[in-house]
Amino acid sequence: MFNVIVGHSNDPDSKFAIEEVLEQCQADLADDHPQAALLFAAPDFDHDLILRAINQQFPGIHLIGGTSDAELSSVLDFQEDSLTLTLFCSDEVEFYASVGRELSKAPFSIAQQTAEEALTHLTSSPKLCITIPESLTASGVDMLQGLTKGLTTSVPIVGGTTTDQWKFQCTYQFFCTEILQDSVPILLMSGNLSVGYGVATGWTPMGKKGVASKVDKNILYEVDHQPVLKFYKDYLGAIRPSPEYRLAVFESEGESWYVRTSNGHYDEEQGSITFFADIPEHSFVQVVGADRDDIIASTQYSMKTALENYPGNNPSVALIFSCTGRMQLLGTRIHEELAIAQAILHRDIPYCGFYTYGEISPLGKQGESRFHNESFVTLLIGVD
Amino acid sequence: MESPLNDQQYIQKLEKENRILQKKLSRSEINRAHLEQNHENQQKLLYRIISNLETSLDELQQSQLQLIQSEKMSALGNLMAGVAHEINNPLGFVDGNVSELKKNLQNLIEYIQYLEHTMPSLGNDVIEARGNLDIEFLLNDLPNMLNSMEVGCDRIRNISNSLRLFARTDTNSKIQANIHDNLDSTLLILKYRLKADNSRPEIDVICDYGELPEIACFPGQLSQVFMNILANSIDMFDETAVDKSYEYLQGNPQQITIRTRLISPEKGEPKSVEISIRDNGKGIPEDMRLKIFDRQFTTKDIGKGTGLGLAIVQQIVVEGHNGSLKMTSEVGQGTEFFIRIPM
Repeated sequence: MFNVIVGHSNDPDSKFAIEEVLEQCQADLADDHPQAALLFAAPDFDHDLILRAINQQFPGIHLIGGTSDAELSSVLDFQEDSLTLTLFCSDEVEFYASVGRELSKAPFSIAQQTAEEALTHLTSSPKLCITIPESLTASGVDMLQGLTKGLTTSVPIVGGTTTDQWKFQCTYQFFCTEILQDSVPILLMSGNLSVGYGVATGWTPMGKKGVASKVDKNILYEVDHQPVLKFYKDYLGAIRPSPEYRLAVFESEGESWYVRTSNGHYDEEQGSITFFADIPEHSFVQVVGADRDDIIASTQYSMKTALENYPGNNPSVALIFSCTGRMQLLGTRIHEELAIAQAILHRDIPYCGFYTYGEISPLGKQGESRFHNESFVTLLIGVD
Repeated sequence: MESPLNDQQYIQKLEKENRILQKKLSRSEINRAHLEQNHENQQKLLYRIISNLETSLDELQQSQLQLIQSEKMSALGNLMAGVAHEINNPLGFVDGNVSELKKNLQNLIEYIQYLEHTMPSLGNDVIEARGNLDIEFLLNDLPNMLNSMEVGCDRIRNISNSLRLFARTDTNSKIQANIHDNLDSTLLILKYRLKADNSRPEIDVICDYGELPEIACFPGQLSQVFMNILANSIDMFDETAVDKSYEYLQGNPQQITIRTRLISPEKGEPKSVEISIRDNGKGIPEDMRLKIFDRQFTTKDIGKGTGLGLAIVQQIVVEGHNGSLKMTSEVGQGTEFFIRIPM
């Protein structure tokens, strides 16, 4: 048995919202007892009140989550300033939640230790790791490499980083009853579990390519031996660099590339810009652009890829991690993204997700997980 | 079927909807501010893109102009060099034979004079034939004819040399050249246009050359500069002659004055050579003075002017030679171009 329940409320009042969500969940749970949970909540809620209410209802539940820019679910579709709770119940799957704290001090080793410690609590090899880490304090790539190292086996790591509604000041992560910053909560699942995932972006590189000639992890100093701010100024003139203006990163001269988004921090004196994740030194960078049709089309690609990669026929839930940049760009057409997702998913499959500052998933069916920006990640889970 | 809401439930429902609406309103305000900022940025970007496009278009047109100019000069250079070469060959044997002919003719004349001197009585038939054939005149005129042929050959040689000089195919780098040679060859090529015709007397050209050293330049391009400015003046004189009588123009001659001088370095300006070309024509109205160096600007009839002449002049002088080009003009008095080429 693997049962996934989703509750969703758009009531801005924290007390009413969590009551409504728990009420919805309780109605669907019947006699099932959830062992694990994912909580995605807008930053304005009273998160302490919400976490205490959940723990009161489901004591000791393995919960991870974080603050989000917007939430989506099979209950209320797309909502801003809302609260979603996804509950996992199974007698075939083992769950264990853990957290790495003060991530920025040593993102790689803290993530590695967190994963290693969590592994010791499982009786079988993990099949999936879901993570909802901090986005602003540390490099997403270092953190992800640490998790990958710590899990030792080729466990897909999927998730999204926490957000603060485009303010880029502070985000929160949830672990059981705790509200944290600068942390990496993870939820491991092991047992008779099937997973499928797909990732897609809708962006297109354009303009001249430059070489990232001076980089320190996620801080890009120079492109073609010129301050990166000058590289941007060639395109933007007097406009300050911001998350709206992304870079395509080509690790080689080939076709394969990924997007890096600035977290809005830049140093006028040094001419550097800080990104949500690392940019490899000597990689090629190029400005990217997109139109809304391409963004929507990429949703379809992500969903279909996840379904193709899913080893069974009946996933129990679809988790969605979509970039907040896509949300900004799509605006009122965000509902089209959701309509495509709904059309591709079986109508009975519940889904839940949030809009992130960075997405995590493997690029293909096999291979290590990678950190993405401006992407749409679909994760299907079931026990076929 | 859902049971109807009681009053309290209905109020709770309304309160919830009110909370949601308030939140949505507040979020909408934030989104609106964000959109406004985005819109402003997009506008700035749009202006920037349009401005960049304009610059790129300008550069493209400039490149096209250079390309056209370069292609044209190359084709013209080859043509002129070919024509000069083909003229020089027959000219060589005509000129050479004329010199020989002069010597031979002199020998023949001396021989006839010697014969007539030693044989005073040649007989009536010979005396009659001498008179009928006007041998006396021939003996006097034949050397003149040959001298005239020599002058003609010299002129053909000068034209041929001028063609080659004018159309000197420029290399990628500058070469040392005498500006006066370029001016003279250009004037020689334009000579047929300067000459008198039915509507006007010959245009006077006054050359007031200073002492100039050879300078590093693209001589073929400079010939083009002089040609374009001089041809414009001649066109203008042709045009203004239509409204004036021949006699008036004889009394008020149309003149082109070319001056050259060496300019000493001053106020950060390098030592340079200045060539001024002045005409005493109708002048350029003030509203047109700023436009004359623009591409596509022409006052000539359709098909007569490309509107590229002075744009090419500007490009060759300013961009090709890092020089300067100035123009002064007064309506009714004339126009003068000042070309400075740094040394």
